[in-house]
Amino acid sequence: MSTDLVLTYVGFFMMGAIALIGAVLAVSQRNILRAALGLIVSFIGVAGIYFVLEAEFVGVVQILIYVGAITILILFAIMLTRGLMQGTTSGHNSQWLAAALLAMLLFAALALVALGTNWNVAATRVSSDLIPKIGAELMTTYVLPFEAVSLLLLAALVGAIVIARE
Amino acid sequence: MVPFALSLLVLLPLVGAAIVLLIPKGQKSDSLIKWFAVVWSVIPLLLASYLWFVLFDPNASKMQFEEAYLWISSINVRYHVGVDGLSMPLVWLTTLLTVLGLFYSSYVIHERAREFFFMFLLLETGMIGVFVSLDFFLFYVFWELGLVPMYFLIAIWGHAEDRPQYSAIKFFLYTLVGSVLMLLAIIAMYINTSTATTPGTFDLIELATKRPFANDFVFASLAFWGIFLAFAIKVPLFPFHTWLPDAHTAAPTAGSVILAGILLKLGTYGFVRVLVPIFPQVFQANVLPIAILATISIVYGALVAMAQTDFKRLIAYSSVNHMGYVILGVAAAVAIGGANLTDRAIALNGAMLQMFNHGVITGALFFIVGILYERAHTRDLKSFGGLGAKTPVYGAILLTASFASLGLPGLAGFISEFMVFRGAFATLPLIATICVLGIVFGAAMMLWKVIQNVLLGVFDEKRWAEQEKHGVKLYDMTRFEVITLAPLLFLMVLIGVYPSVILNTLNTISVAILGQIVK
Amino acid sequence: MSLSVPDLNLRIIAPVLIVAISALVVLLGELVTSSAQKRGLGYASLVGLLAAGGAAMGLWDAHAVAFREMVRADNFGVFLTLTILAGAVLCILLSFDFTRAHRIETGEYYALILFSVTGMLLMVTAADLIIIFLALELLSLPLYILAAFKREDERSLEAGLKYFLLGAFSSAFFLYGIALVYGATGTTNLARIAASAPSEMLLIGAGLLLVGFAFKVALVPFHWWTPDVYEGAPTTITAFMSVAVKAAAFGAFLRAFLVALPALAMDWRVVLAIIAVLTMTLGNVAALLQANIKRMLAYSSIAHAGYILIALVAMGGAGVSAALFYLLAYTLTNLGAFGAVIALGEGERERLNVSDYGGLARMQPLLAAMLTVFMLSLAGFPPFAGFVGKFLIFGAAVQNGWAWLAVVGVLNSLVSVYFYLRPVVAMYMSEPVEGWGAPRVAPLVALALVLALIGVIALGVFPAPAIALAAGGLGR
Repeated sequence: MSTDLVLTYVGFFMMGAIALIGAVLAVSQRNILRAALGLIVSFIGVAGIYFVLEAEFVGVVQILIYVGAITILILFAIMLTRGLMQGTTSGHNSQWLAAALLAMLLFAALALVALGTNWNVAATRVSSDLIPKIGAELMTTYVLPFEAVSLLLLAALVGAIVIARE
Repeated sequence: MVPFALSLLVLLPLVGAAIVLLIPKGQKSDSLIKWFAVVWSVIPLLLASYLWFVLFDPNASKMQFEEAYLWISSINVRYHVGVDGLSMPLVWLTTLLTVLGLFYSSYVIHERAREFFFMFLLLETGMIGVFVSLDFFLFYVFWELGLVPMYFLIAIWGHAEDRPQYSAIKFFLYTLVGSVLMLLAIIAMYINTSTATTPGTFDLIELATKRPFANDFVFASLAFWGIFLAFAIKVPLFPFHTWLPDAHTAAPTAGSVILAGILLKLGTYGFVRVLVPIFPQVFQANVLPIAILATISIVYGALVAMAQTDFKRLIAYSSVNHMGYVILGVAAAVAIGGANLTDRAIALNGAMLQMFNHGVITGALFFIVGILYERAHTRDLKSFGGLGAKTPVYGAILLTASFASLGLPGLAGFISEFMVFRGAFATLPLIATICVLGIVFGAAMMLWKVIQNVLLGVFDEKRWAEQEKHGVKLYDMTRFEVITLAPLLFLMVLIGVYPSVILNTLNTISVAILGQIVK
Repeated sequence: MSLSVPDLNLRIIAPVLIVAISALVVLLGELVTSSAQKRGLGYASLVGLLAAGGAAMGLWDAHAVAFREMVRADNFGVFLTLTILAGAVLCILLSFDFTRAHRIETGEYYALILFSVTGMLLMVTAADLIIIFLALELLSLPLYILAAFKREDERSLEAGLKYFLLGAFSSAFFLYGIALVYGATGTTNLARIAASAPSEMLLIGAGLLLVGFAFKVALVPFHWWTPDVYEGAPTTITAFMSVAVKAAAFGAFLRAFLVALPALAMDWRVVLAIIAVLTMTLGNVAALLQANIKRMLAYSSIAHAGYILIALVAMGGAGVSAALFYLLAYTLTNLGAFGAVIALGEGERERLNVSDYGGLARMQPLLAAMLTVFMLSLAGFPPFAGFVGKFLIFGAAVQNGWAWLAVVGVLNSLVSVYFYLRPVVAMYMSEPVEGWGAPRVAPLVALALVLALIGVIALGVFPAPAIALAAGGLGR
């Protein structure tokens, strides 16, 4: 095993651990603000995994959007909403056991299949000028999805206004 | 020649129903609706009479007045109609009983007349449609079409004290259970007759020659029993008869008449039109169980009828008994054995004639019960007595119809029952012997329960004088009631003394059907 | 660097484009219209939908792909496009007076419906999982908002929130499914997925896709949101959701499974057959217990999803055309039924309980008769559209060796008769309920009802043309 690969493994497991710890924090904390902070940790961990896998662009986007925008929005929402700051809501309900069991089952199935699958590994490394390539793809092959997304965002915007308007 | 004769026959009531809806609202609209519906319903009767008595060739075994157009091309459904000796009398009877039912109802229906006459005419379209359909898909459509109006007739205009809504939904669901299974069988037959290059068929004539599942007895049996159930519920054959007394008791008089007179015939008609020609082998293999069910219907129906104290329920159970003879006749006609074609044809003729007769006789009896109920507001047999002297016209008519029902020679019922037994003794002697019991019980129930209780005995003056204060008055039949019953009484006598008027027509088709299946 | 421009065949997505542009126009119109003029925006939406319908008809027999095989114009897609547009037109006709009575008459209402329709049309023409996913989101998002559109009504808000949460959840499943399918095959294009070798990973991916679709069309056990959302949402929106979402989602469902995953049919057919049995049975049995007509129709819509699933299990040309015909028949029938419920409302009050329908046959004989026809069609009675639809589906099932499934379906439709008859029984056989006047039906609502009625009867009596159009149009 080359040093390169060892480092990759170490990095992957470290980042994975961070993502998992963050996720556990997010669902276990009774204080919603702390839960949101846990979410940030988890997002950073996921971004780290992208970096380890040499998908730098996705990693950067992950941090920019999820950490930089979405969680901040969540924090704002929490702080601006009365009662949520002090309130400690229960993270459990009566169905948690069944849900946990189902989730474990799904995880087991996915893990088994993932381990058993002979993945197609790209023969060549992704070239370094990734960002122009992604840009070009978005403007050619994925132009229709790209436009659809813009429409989707517009609809979401309108919807948000409708819901929020007094 | 009348162009599109059968289509006209099917559509005329429908058009009439539409016009009933369009008659403007107003003070006189109810009487206008009644007047219109009765007059309009005479047109199909005249047309059917013209077709049967003038144009119809009783000696031709093939379909007459046929029309066939492609309807749903992708699954080869055709609008294919036609009549033969089996269906022509029933079509005619349908138009006749509709006229009588509407005429009678125009005097006794006071609530929601528009809806009543609409439903009634819609029902007529459904019934005629079933009898003239030669495409199983079309047959099914009309079969279901008749269900809905009958449901409404029972549920809305039923007698409030007899749980009309419960009875109606029971009737509806029972029939539906059978018909959905029939639907599956229809699909299966279609797919079985299709090949890689040609589509399957729903055509009853083609199916009778192609004989779907001819080489696959298991599947043929499944399809057979699916269709059998649909028809047996409608007949109704024991043990599927439990909806019948409830539905009959609750239904308004004209509804009962149509139910007994025509709707039950849809089941037996299906036996002869569908089950016998398309599944002869399966039918023959199962003749014994079917004949046993018929026997139980005959004996049990008569016994239970005898135990009734409600006049209408008694007549309802007597239908179970009488329809049993039809099934017995059909079973006898196809039974395996050495009997010759003549014996079999006699049995089938008897069965077919019994269908017609039962429609006439029981139709009349339900009118008679309804007329009494209108006056007395009760159907309890024990509360009557001495009506023979008090209301002589009513007594005479009831006597005639009862005698026809129990099979007195000289009246219609005797001929058909005799023929059924004449045929059944040749092929199913043991069963026929047991069924004779049914005749005995049937006679007993009519003589003992009906005639003795209602007509003989002493008229309870005190009781009815008391009742008169509540607006209940027993008076003899009025003119419109006599007019309603006259055609039916005429038919009972006519067929009783001169059965050939109809038997020739029936015999042609019996021989044709049996010739196809019995070697 | 040089870019190779893909085949920007706008003609193929013309219906989608037209509806999207109408949505934008209506949105802008909202700014310049007074509250009395909002009706005009509704008319503008109608014009857009009809124009899209015209464009869609122009695509009949076009058989083309565009945008690097992202979308495909085949007759399958065109048929569903027209079905969805018909549903949307009827829904908007029903909305004019409803939104005014319920004080939700805004331009956004119409714009959001049009956005949702855009997503639906995109969905049925999609030939790539990415597009299917985006279309799914585009059709769902406006509906989350629309479900909660009556903001002063708590049940409406609850409906929107519930729909949103569960919808987001199902989207996640769907997206995960796409990722796994991509991992297994290296492509998201439906045709290329079909060309690659089946694997366990593909199977798991297909399973997750199934969960996503099952949520959208409300299959057991992913149906829990349906009754609450259908009950809480404004009735016009419930009507729209119950038909158009089904048509769109089933369109993509059929396409994804029949085009991309036929190699795994051995596996998913059995699973879907079991789900179909559960869905039909639970839907019908639960509908029996409902007193609220919107909840009853919600459970009935679950049951109908089960029937359509039979067609998917049956596969083959017969299955596809049966499903398409059924979707069209169901769209017209169910919109008619909801239309009657809407027509019977009085101001903001609606006749939600079956008992509220007492005596209507005498006060509104025509409307009562129409509702009866729609109920009978839903129950599968001839000579109405629902009967032919069921006949085709059960026929396809028997033909392709799933006779037992047809038997279950037939028995289920038997059960359904009972609850479909209940409003009918109330209308014809019960006394009028206190506190309700004779309903007055607005002309546009009447128009929608008549259109639906004509469709239901025409499809029942002369089904041949529609069956021919539904046959054999799924391009691969």
